[in-house]
Amino acid sequence: MDDLTEMLKGTLEGCVLEIIGSEETYGYAITRRLHELGFADVVEGTVYTILLRLEKNGLVQVTKRPSGLGPPRKFYALNDAGREELATFWAKWEYITSRIDKLKEGGR
Amino acid sequence: MNFWETMTGSDLTREWKAFEARAEALPADYRAAWEEIKGHLFPYADFTGRNLMPILDGALGLLEETAADGQSIHEVLGDDIEGFCAALAGGEGARSYRDRWREQLNRNVARKLGRLGG
Repeated sequence: MDDLTEMLKGTLEGCVLEIIGSEETYGYAITRRLHELGFADVVEGTVYTILLRLEKNGLVQVTKRPSGLGPPRKFYALNDAGREELATFWAKWEYITSRIDKLKEGGR
Repeated sequence: MNFWETMTGSDLTREWKAFEARAEALPADYRAAWEEIKGHLFPYADFTGRNLMPILDGALGLLEETAADGQSIHEVLGDDIEGFCAALAGGEGARSYRDRWREQLNRNVARKLGRLGG
């Protein structure tokens, strides 16, 4: 689907947290995972800025590992604060989607 | 960083040269993107531009890593290099001279309005 960018903005950080939460991973792999999910518009630069923010907010643990080619890769894993943030994200998501679904169904 | 370097910015010149040397090794389309990134980040510089150094280092690192992966520059940065740079600078907490002007303007307007209101 095209033109999701604006709508995705607030949720992409949660998506990245969830992906890191399931296994330690790196930027390119996260971007590919998002593409597989159907978010084809997400570029690695976007993921990179999100990862910077997560790092700055102390939600991830970063490990540098040598890669076969090119410079060492940064691998990201969630720490306790990150897991807490992820739980909060899903709680907020639950709330928003339930409200919007209700709106769509015309209930109150 | 010692006093001499702080005053002359000689460490910045050195760092800058190191960046350019790294950028030289990138593929042509990446080099073009690097030029554009520098242009878009410049407005976020503080007086010496020192605050941009870690941001530029990170951006260059991203370019190096993704070039080694064989990704196209479009896959990495998309169409919106300006937006990418704004997010980068924001993510690092860099404040631009525009922010400071805006604050100054807001303060002055508020003060004058306050005076009018008596």
